[in-house]
Amino acid sequence: MKKQENIRNFCIVAHIDHGKSTLADRLLERCNAVTSREMENQILDNMDLERERGITIKARAVKLSYAAPDGETYALNLIDTPGHVDFNYEVSRSLAACEGAILIVDAAQGIEAQTLANTYLAIEHGLEVVPVINKIDLPSADPDRVKKEIEDIIGIPADEAPLISAKLGTNIEDVLEQVVAQIPPPKGDPAAPLKAIVFDSQYDAYRGVIVYIRIMEGSIRPGMNVRMMATGAEFQVVETGTLMPLGLAPSDGLSAGEVGYFTASIKNVKDTTVGDTVTEVERPADEPLPGYRQVQSMVFSGIYPADGAKYPDLRDALDKLQLNDASLTYEPESSVALGFGFRCGFLGLLHMEIIQERLEREYNLDLITTAPSVIYKVKRTNGEEEYIDNPLNYPNPTEIEWAEEPFVAANIITPTDYVGNIMELCQDRRGVFKDMKYLDDTRVEVHYELPLNEIIYDFFDALKSRTRGYASLDYELIGYRKSDLVKLDIMLNGEVVDALSFIVHTEKAYARGRKIAEKLKENIPRQLFEIPVQATIGNRIIARETVKALRKDVLAKCYGGDITRKKKLLEKQKEGKKRMRSLGTVEVPQEAFMAVLKLDE
Amino acid sequence: MKPLGIYIHIPFCKSRCAYCDFHSNKTTSQKQMANYTKTVCKHIIEGGLRDSEYEVDTLYFGGGTPSWCGAKNLMRIARCVYKSFKVLNDCETTLEANPDTVDLKLLKKLHKVGFNRISFGMQSSNPMELTDLGRTHTFEQVKAAVAMARKAKFDNISVDLMYGIPSQTAQTWKKTLDDAISLEVEHISCYALKVEEGTKLFDRKDEYTFPDDDAVADFYLYAVERLEDAGYKQYEISNFARPGYICKHNYKYWNLGEYWGIGPSAYSFLNRMRFSYLPHTDRYMQAVEAGDAIIQNSEKAEGVERAGEYLMLMLRTTEGVSGEILEKKYLVCFDTIEACLKKYAAKGYARFSNGNWSLTPRGFLISNTIISDLLIALEKSEHITQANYSRMKG
Repeated sequence: MKKQENIRNFCIVAHIDHGKSTLADRLLERCNAVTSREMENQILDNMDLERERGITIKARAVKLSYAAPDGETYALNLIDTPGHVDFNYEVSRSLAACEGAILIVDAAQGIEAQTLANTYLAIEHGLEVVPVINKIDLPSADPDRVKKEIEDIIGIPADEAPLISAKLGTNIEDVLEQVVAQIPPPKGDPAAPLKAIVFDSQYDAYRGVIVYIRIMEGSIRPGMNVRMMATGAEFQVVETGTLMPLGLAPSDGLSAGEVGYFTASIKNVKDTTVGDTVTEVERPADEPLPGYRQVQSMVFSGIYPADGAKYPDLRDALDKLQLNDASLTYEPESSVALGFGFRCGFLGLLHMEIIQERLEREYNLDLITTAPSVIYKVKRTNGEEEYIDNPLNYPNPTEIEWAEEPFVAANIITPTDYVGNIMELCQDRRGVFKDMKYLDDTRVEVHYELPLNEIIYDFFDALKSRTRGYASLDYELIGYRKSDLVKLDIMLNGEVVDALSFIVHTEKAYARGRKIAEKLKENIPRQLFEIPVQATIGNRIIARETVKALRKDVLAKCYGGDITRKKKLLEKQKEGKKRMRSLGTVEVPQEAFMAVLKLDE
Repeated sequence: MKPLGIYIHIPFCKSRCAYCDFHSNKTTSQKQMANYTKTVCKHIIEGGLRDSEYEVDTLYFGGGTPSWCGAKNLMRIARCVYKSFKVLNDCETTLEANPDTVDLKLLKKLHKVGFNRISFGMQSSNPMELTDLGRTHTFEQVKAAVAMARKAKFDNISVDLMYGIPSQTAQTWKKTLDDAISLEVEHISCYALKVEEGTKLFDRKDEYTFPDDDAVADFYLYAVERLEDAGYKQYEISNFARPGYICKHNYKYWNLGEYWGIGPSAYSFLNRMRFSYLPHTDRYMQAVEAGDAIIQNSEKAEGVERAGEYLMLMLRTTEGVSGEILEKKYLVCFDTIEACLKKYAAKGYARFSNGNWSLTPRGFLISNTIISDLLIALEKSEHITQANYSRMKG
């Protein structure tokens, strides 16, 4: 076991695209943790999806062995953190396992919203922040301006900030030196009762759950009986070890200050939730480490198999995904329109997209998803209060005394040119302007309070398109507020399609209803009879479109005996037809459901 | 002996029509056409079907514009077929022709060598519409061409018409039909214009106003009625004929008859195999001359797929499909399919008569929808095996 003075536990804080993964690669290379042959680009992100999107979905940790010029060898534990607001809680738990953080700032772009949010989070956790300016190789790099920004905006000295290019490997040594010099070694008494924080866990088919921990006090070793202080689950430790770049390295034990893992034949990641404290059963700690909370879903959506017969496959896939993602919740639901599916809860929109994409890609499922919803709070006229995450359960207007919806505080950083566009967008999304702060001559930070409901659709895309991709966004939940909400229903051929119902603010109901009716008209193919498409609130029709009856669908000519081509066309049409959902007498293609989710396009 | 249709593709035109996506080359080179004729003859002789169990009962020269190729070349090819195959005396021998590429001399020569059916591209009688389609002739020329053909003793003449043309109205369509009927030909085809990618019309489609689907549907239903009144009975989605004059060659495409298509991009159906040749004149010619592979793609329909072909093709005809054939020949239980047909019959899209199910004109108009539904029903249908045949019938 390492002397504490020779251990440094740190994470990297950066805005998306500022080079976190690339710097991690370089650090790994420099510490000979990986030979270049083994070096796959961005080894920390080892899920395909992560690599493609360039984001880290799940935290990972790795131990580097750094032979410093002072003759000492240091154990550097790099704990990777997700950068997206959806995973804020996970970030905070990873930070709690560290003494310091490397703050990467892009030498050309400067500080962005996520940089700020995560840096403040690191400072709140008492972490030593080591600024690093990356991408100095870019022609537009302006390190001096960025240094000033770091000092002015964040308020930490940036004089000695290493100027690096992670891409080219320039000045990587400086970063390692700064980590050793600036970040304090961990403290903690190896002889005290065990207290270790869980910052991640991963399901492995052979070993059960692998629990990633940082020992704060005491030590852990194989054979020890441990208890998870929040869930109360108890296990006997089978294996402990450290997290090497290319896999797990078993050890005799881990003691205060170290980062590593243990296994204990644990079947379910739900027993080892992030933020929980591990202690010894025989000699427990007095109290758990602070900061634990149960993860709560913020966004809900119905997920259905496009082919009803694939329902068991969808269930199996969700079961498997949940093995590794305790924050994913789901329960069976059924819809008249879509049949059997699941109501799923997500941490946020990105989380939702990732889960949907993984289901489609890794499990080869064709999905229909319903419009995302937040949790509304409703007081009925009979005095009952309830939380509603599914539009289907929303009471009639006459039964509602008041309704509340969740609001977030949004922090947007943008070049000054786009302030007008952003204000227009936020205003349109029922935002309440709070204040605005100039970061420097060219950039401004805008604060809005917005209903979560308004940002879960396509706010991020709208923001990017209105600012040519320059604006960055961060938000946090600030509680519930009273709101004038209604349920909007969609009727096809006179029948309500339950899967298309959603809750919307009264002021927006008309525009939304019209747009959805138009979209459906475009996406529902003509059928043998005329189909009215109506948007209604209660019994009131607020929009109407008509899908005209099909009159002509014929190949007039069989081209000189080319039957093959005609066969292919009919085959394609047949397959398309099989994918359609019969809603009463109307056949609705999957695209129609998808189109109503993307009203802005 | 098995009947065989032979199709000869003549990939040459005087000018390219705005809507055409068939394989064809605009050319005036006599040498090129003569070389092509030589290659086609080589292909006929060496193509492997010579002296086989087939006897030819239809011969069809399509294109392109076969008439543009000249009497000499056409006669040479026809004679080559006669020499290489057993050809029936009353073999239906069709020439596709444009009204402005024929003269009496050519027609007489061809009639003498055995051509007995001629199909003229008329398309429209409206000068504006003809211009938009890129046609180089007038209706007057069509009249003259038909008269010449009669003089050359052709007693089986067809004209092609087109609806759904830019700016076409119910009035101009009615006029085109009236004019076509006034020609007193034996056969009329009416094709809906389809704007295919890669055609001139496709590139310029935004400059035109096309009649919408509803209007086109009305044009079609009107044509069916008008032509029936004039004595032309519908026998396929797009084809109408006086009694005894249906096109036997084209009918093979729908009733799963065998045909051999010669020339670039020509399609064949032989021994349950569907295949086509390289869709490029020079490459096709080089390959035939060198004895290289010329098949572009091929597929063989087996089992239930054959039942699907039967349904999709015969439902193009007014003859329609029979449950008995489906069960006896294709070994598929008819119940599920019949239930689906009944559903359409209830709405007037299909009908049952003389033991066969067929589509009505309104049904033809949405035949893709109906047939794709039937193909789904076919997937769900029980297959007939020896084990369950007696049970089902019992």
